[in-house]
Amino acid sequence: MDDSMRCRGMRDILPDEMRRFRRVEQAFREVCLGWGYEEVRTPTIEHLHLFTSTGTLSPQMLGRVYSFLDWDGWSGERVVLRPESTIPAVRLYVQEMRDRKAAKLFYVQNVFHFAQGDESREEWQCGVELIGDTQPVGDVELILMGCEVLQRLGLQPELRLSAPGILRVILARAGLEMSEQLALYDRILDGDVGALDEVQERLSDAGGSLRALLSSEGEGVPYLNNLRAALFPAVPELARPLDELTAVAEVLNETGCPYRISPARVRNFEYYTGPAFHFQVDGKTVGGGGRYDALISLIGGGGTPASGFALYLDLIAGLLPVDRAEELPSVGVRSGSGKPDDLAAAFRLASALRNAGRSVDVAAGREAAVSWQVEVVAGGFLLNRDGAAPRRLPSVEEVVRVITEAAGD
Amino acid sequence: MIKLALPAGDLRSPLAQLLVSCGLRVEGYGRGSRAYRLPVEGREDVVVRVFREKDIPIQIALGNYDLGVCNLAWLTEMQVRFPRQPVVALRGMGVGQCGIFAAGTDGAGDGLAHLGSMGLVRLASEYPNLAETFAMAARLPAYRVQAVWGAAEAYPPEDADLAIVAAAEEATLRAQGLRPLFCLLDSSAWLIANADALASKDLSAVLGPLMAGAPVPGPAGGLRLPPPVPPDKRAAQPLRERSSVRLAVPDGHQQPNAADALRVAGLVFDGYDESRCVRRPVSSLVGLEVKVIRPHDMPQLVASGEMDLAITGRDCLMNHLYRFPSSPVAEVVDLRRGQFNLSAVVSEELPAASIGEALDSWRSQQKAVLRVAAELPDVADHYARSRHFWRYQVIPIAGASEGFVPEDADLLIEGTETGKTLAENRLKAIDLLFGSTTCVIARKDVALHGRRRRVFDEVVAALRRSVRTVETV
Repeated sequence: MDDSMRCRGMRDILPDEMRRFRRVEQAFREVCLGWGYEEVRTPTIEHLHLFTSTGTLSPQMLGRVYSFLDWDGWSGERVVLRPESTIPAVRLYVQEMRDRKAAKLFYVQNVFHFAQGDESREEWQCGVELIGDTQPVGDVELILMGCEVLQRLGLQPELRLSAPGILRVILARAGLEMSEQLALYDRILDGDVGALDEVQERLSDAGGSLRALLSSEGEGVPYLNNLRAALFPAVPELARPLDELTAVAEVLNETGCPYRISPARVRNFEYYTGPAFHFQVDGKTVGGGGRYDALISLIGGGGTPASGFALYLDLIAGLLPVDRAEELPSVGVRSGSGKPDDLAAAFRLASALRNAGRSVDVAAGREAAVSWQVEVVAGGFLLNRDGAAPRRLPSVEEVVRVITEAAGD
Repeated sequence: MIKLALPAGDLRSPLAQLLVSCGLRVEGYGRGSRAYRLPVEGREDVVVRVFREKDIPIQIALGNYDLGVCNLAWLTEMQVRFPRQPVVALRGMGVGQCGIFAAGTDGAGDGLAHLGSMGLVRLASEYPNLAETFAMAARLPAYRVQAVWGAAEAYPPEDADLAIVAAAEEATLRAQGLRPLFCLLDSSAWLIANADALASKDLSAVLGPLMAGAPVPGPAGGLRLPPPVPPDKRAAQPLRERSSVRLAVPDGHQQPNAADALRVAGLVFDGYDESRCVRRPVSSLVGLEVKVIRPHDMPQLVASGEMDLAITGRDCLMNHLYRFPSSPVAEVVDLRRGQFNLSAVVSEELPAASIGEALDSWRSQQKAVLRVAAELPDVADHYARSRHFWRYQVIPIAGASEGFVPEDADLLIEGTETGKTLAENRLKAIDLLFGSTTCVIARKDVALHGRRRRVFDEVVAALRRSVRTVETV
């Protein structure tokens, strides 16, 4: 196949993979509905300005969005192919649901971002947004939901907790101008943890190495207590983010959900303010989320706090074993003559068989073997099955009855 | 054959001298020959094609030319939007130094901090991709980029809050009434190469001499971007209500037609006639503000409400409408001047008298991709779709269009008057897209009241009278 026929970075999902894809979707939907969430879907195209303000996406993410002037973009204002789903979901809430005190939403939709080489530029996400004042219960709920989806799929998730607020208060404490704070935070979001060394130089009373403290991982509340002890004297403002993270950690301890803490593990999204988390399976990050208390206000919706997460559908589907095709017991129906009235009879029979729970193949083409073959003949139907003598049956009802009885339905 | 793309315009003279000093005497280049393909003295293995400077990175990226010289700003403009294009910047040539600045007007503030308090930041630039990159890096809460064909420095303060412009030095901007706020790039003419040609084709006969010159103290550091501007919603300024009617009049080839229509209409502007123009001519009609801008940029300014009326070409209007079908701009007066046809043009050698025959011919040649060159890319795109072209690419060009076919494009969408220029360049028109004339445009839904309505109607009526005068001549 000439690969230039398909746009670079785009991929087809073939039947095997599509079945795994649907399994993930199904498990996700069942869990969300079970926790009382409602499904929504946002448009593929949104205004670019939703994503450009400080407090939304990191510069690296912004630099990879598919933005363009729409057909009615004569004002010069660009639109964008949805690069992530939380901001559109928040826009939906602000525009359509702001009279609700709380909203529990979920969605399955694709996002687009430019990638170098042949990496995928379209990804599918299973996302959840919990809008309303629910901390810390809501954060724990989201974490447990994410774990439940992965466990239902037979995967063993590992959980990482972090706190973007720790970095924010440290940057503020370092005496940096607001624009410098934003720029440094963006560098860290884009994976440059070396930026912490620059902060260290300005925050000498923090002692030791900020980078070592914040880029290491630890376990549970004891590790959080150690962080507090090491950094609190120099940065007393750390109390709030550490308290928020501790509140979540303590509940997780009680529920028996294992986790590790990596305080500076923040990537790509500027909008996270409170505790954040990532799900990993076999060392791969397959999802993540966190608290974004300032985003709704930034989009114009008042000071409603919120949190959410997304599971990366393509990655998770790739971790599942290949399923056998789920096929209903199948029947082939043919018209030997090809005359219109015989074809009509074939389609009538096919409809009745489908209503009786069979999969029916009228237009030949499916490779899978069929259990029964029925031919439309003069005055009725000829029923064939491997190893059995052909039977002539007079009506649609008779064919359905014989096949259903033989299958023991 | 080594193919070298050189720029038209101000760089010709210094670059020609530089090439001579490298042993490459491009015949006619420094003298500004009107030919687009120039030989190199004693070098039959080298061919030179002259392009508008901004077209050169595109031609190098397409692989139509192996090497080229253009201002680094044009390469950066392409690369910030299309970073995967196979173009390599090799060396500064030490000529054409300039900076790319973000500039506002006096009174707007010294730095960029004030941008955070603006509800909407309007940026005008010939470098729209750089402007977009600047706006994103500054994290402007809401912004609009007006991609202009030229004269971006004339946009602030009425039609833009910032202009992203090239200037030899900051003093040049100050002399234009602008205040430089941030320098994005120190630029100059650079030798650039197609990466694939560099990897697989022996270019040493040209590359060697050009790279062997004395090291040039060129600009360094690449693109600089501003830090994020902290948002400050408290200080957001409300949009000002205008009390005057704003009319845009064209410079360039439309200027004589517009000036003639205005003169016949009895609309006298101090500083604007057939032969001279200042950016902001003064109207004798009270309540009418006039500004000179490029005709290509007018439809968008009218659509966005910055201008109430504009005198432009129908070709520019159609390009805008093909791009933005829901735009509220419409033609209100056909001034019946500056008439020409917008045509589909091919090489004289192509055995075709119509676009249908041309498509048949290209199909029989098994052309996988049709290359369509056009100064008005949205007109070309619409044309290609409406004629059911198979896979095609529209190559936007800034001028010097006659030299594109057949080597660099299969089809040209071009304005033709008598056909003489086409014949001189061994080209022929095979299809008519539409006839274009100078016209007056306005918003269909214009809602003016009081004095503004009266002035608007008076100007339109006067320009309508100028048409009748032409018809009775």
